[in-house]
Amino acid sequence: MSDIVQASALTRRFDPRLSLGDRIAAAFGARVETRPVRAVTDVSFAIRQGETLGLVGESGCGKSTLGRMVAGILPPSAGDLRIDGEPVMRHGRKTTTRIQTVFQDPFASLNPRRRIGATISEGPIAHRLIRRAEAPAFVADWLARVGLDPAVATRFPHQFSGGQRQRVAIARALAMRPDILVCDEPVASLDVSIQAQILNLFLDLREALGLTCLFISHDLSVVRHVSHRVAIMYLGRIVEIGPAAQVYAAPRHPYTQGLLDSVPKLRLDAEDVSFQPIAGELPSPLSPPSGCAFHPRCPRATDLCRAQRPELAPHPGEVAVACHHA
Amino acid sequence: MTAPLLEVEGLRTHFLTRAGVAKAVDGVSFVLQPGEILGLVGESGSGKSVTGFSLIGLVDPPGRIVGGSIRFAGQELVGLPAEQMRALRGRRIAMVFQDPQATLNPVLTIGTQMALALQAHDRVSDRAAAERAATMLTRVGIPDAAARLGNYPHEFSGGMRQRVAIAMALLNGPELIIADEPTTALDVSIQAQILHEMKALAAESGTALIWISHDLATVSALAHRVLVMYAGRIVESGPVGAVLRAPLHPYTRGLLDSLPAMTEPGRRLRQIPGTAPSLLALPPGCPFAPRCPRADAACTAPPPRVDHAERRALCHHPLEAAA
Ligand SMILES: Nc1ncnc2c1ncn2[C@@H]1O[C@H](COP(=O)(O)OP(=O)(O)OP(=O)(O)O)[C@@H](O)[C@H]1O
Ligand SMILES: Nc1ncnc2c1ncn2[C@@H]1O[C@H](COP(=O)(O)OP(=O)(O)OP(=O)(O)O)[C@@H](O)[C@H]1O
Ligand SMILES: [Mg+2]
Ligand SMILES: [Mg+2]
Repeated sequence: MSDIVQASALTRRFDPRLSLGDRIAAAFGARVETRPVRAVTDVSFAIRQGETLGLVGESGCGKSTLGRMVAGILPPSAGDLRIDGEPVMRHGRKTTTRIQTVFQDPFASLNPRRRIGATISEGPIAHRLIRRAEAPAFVADWLARVGLDPAVATRFPHQFSGGQRQRVAIARALAMRPDILVCDEPVASLDVSIQAQILNLFLDLREALGLTCLFISHDLSVVRHVSHRVAIMYLGRIVEIGPAAQVYAAPRHPYTQGLLDSVPKLRLDAEDVSFQPIAGELPSPLSPPSGCAFHPRCPRATDLCRAQRPELAPHPGEVAVACHHA
Repeated sequence: MTAPLLEVEGLRTHFLTRAGVAKAVDGVSFVLQPGEILGLVGESGSGKSVTGFSLIGLVDPPGRIVGGSIRFAGQELVGLPAEQMRALRGRRIAMVFQDPQATLNPVLTIGTQMALALQAHDRVSDRAAAERAATMLTRVGIPDAAARLGNYPHEFSGGMRQRVAIAMALLNGPELIIADEPTTALDVSIQAQILHEMKALAAESGTALIWISHDLATVSALAHRVLVMYAGRIVESGPVGAVLRAPLHPYTRGLLDSLPAMTEPGRRLRQIPGTAPSLLALPPGCPFAPRCPRADAACTAPPPRVDHAERRALCHHPLEAAA
């Protein structure tokens, strides 16, 4: 299998938007926040044709920022993203329709005043994938493929339940005939039984269309279920990446271990359960800790970890880990 | 056995809408002991939040409690004058809302809000209030809590706001806390910390907890007993281990089977077919029948109550209860 997505040294900073007043005040030594948020730093990975890469990590660690760069929605501050060797963005603009996105909140991402039939067909018409006259049949076909009654094409988003809206969002993304799909928390707002329906739809369509995916979620069991490989992010960097079965069975990075230990598992015995929270909080991306960013929370941290940042280094079994003690 | 803290009997809360009467809660009964943690799970829209709102007297029109009884420490809450309900709320019964925005006032600092919540019920000096508030914030994992008292809600991340809302509920040492999806927006690492604190709280201070969630794993790790709701009714209840190991009700079985952990990675999940019924037009008989693999002609009649040791279900064709 060949790599279809190549991310090299992707970095994204957000500079504080300062007013003229703030700038003058800062120049005179006032306490104005001028440091950039380092949301994603030096992230490189590849996704193979037909593969799903899962991306997990704590809130604020940079998953969505990375996802938006991969989708070509957000220009990187440095580094680049290529599909089959071709850059996804030129001069800050997306140059391909081969990659599409499904977001967490389908309500926010669907235009409330547009009928969902038009929502699904507008992209394909604009990019001349279909002619306007073909739109009704095209929409009916996609609604059926995502398990909705084609008759709902004339409805507005608010007339759908959360699960139905997510089906519409999936239809809209796939109607563009992408090769690559970025899913950012696609089932986070759905309850267990609706979540199962949407995940099944995802698995079916992925198989039928041969899709390559980046799948972002904070739910470790969902990521385990859909991913071939997983990447664990901490404070803007990937700290461990490898085959899902391997990383879940034998996590090497202390952060990955902590994350997996703190997930409540379905307990069917009556035994008392103790929870194993990771000590401390995700540090601020305004001022990342020295050396390994995880060292203030790490049970194994040494002077080396405080002084020097570990590189993401290969380990046996196609796993790569950024830890001095892995 | 000690006297129960809470006895709910035949609770019915309906919404009178233009389209008809939505029977959001329709005959809910359960008992809660001091220090007990009760999980309340079920489909979105099944009436979990409305049950919680009913218990603390916060059902707004067009909703109304149209029947049943809620006895809290021996006192009947249905029909209690608003004044007396307000005195109970926040002090002896507290609720953590699904949306922390509903609890926190955006224009007051966290410290001020927590002091006000304490002083509403007790004469506490500002200094003692600040100390008490900082202690609670530390318990729910807010680092550097004393320094954060001067911050406004928008200066906290979403997960931190949720933790502040939980700390507010704990503030007056209530006998009952109703927590509505309190950790769904939180990271697994923070979630573990909150669960740890909640468990310790129930064990140490005898606070009873109703934990509303559709995360079965969390409920299994936290609760002693579980109630499973479907279309406004409790279709199954019992000790959490027994219910999740071998459910009596096909809906509970369906919920468990649809978890990713129940299927080999990459395989299609077992999903419950169809969608939840409209509360405006419930089918006669069992509301789950249209989606149930075991349903037959009998299910068009109201389902009988099945008793099995400490467990109960409403079903014509319950599953075998394994030991
Ligand atoms: N437009 C922006 N301007 C400034 N800072 C931003 C912006 N977008 C993201 N950030 C910051 O970048 C960091 C990473 O955010 P991001 O949304 O990528 O995290 P995430 O891992 O997706 O979190 P979550 O799980 O909560 O969705 C955060 O500190 C966030 O506050
Ligand atoms: N103000 C209202 N007017 C009309 N119907 C309402 C109102 N509030 C709630 N309902 C109905 O009551 C039912 C129960 O809602 P409730 O919020 O208790 O569900 P829930 O089990 O908490 O769901 P979720 O898991 O999505 O939070 C819903 O079907 C809803 O349509
Ligand atoms: Mg995100
Ligand atoms: Mg609710």
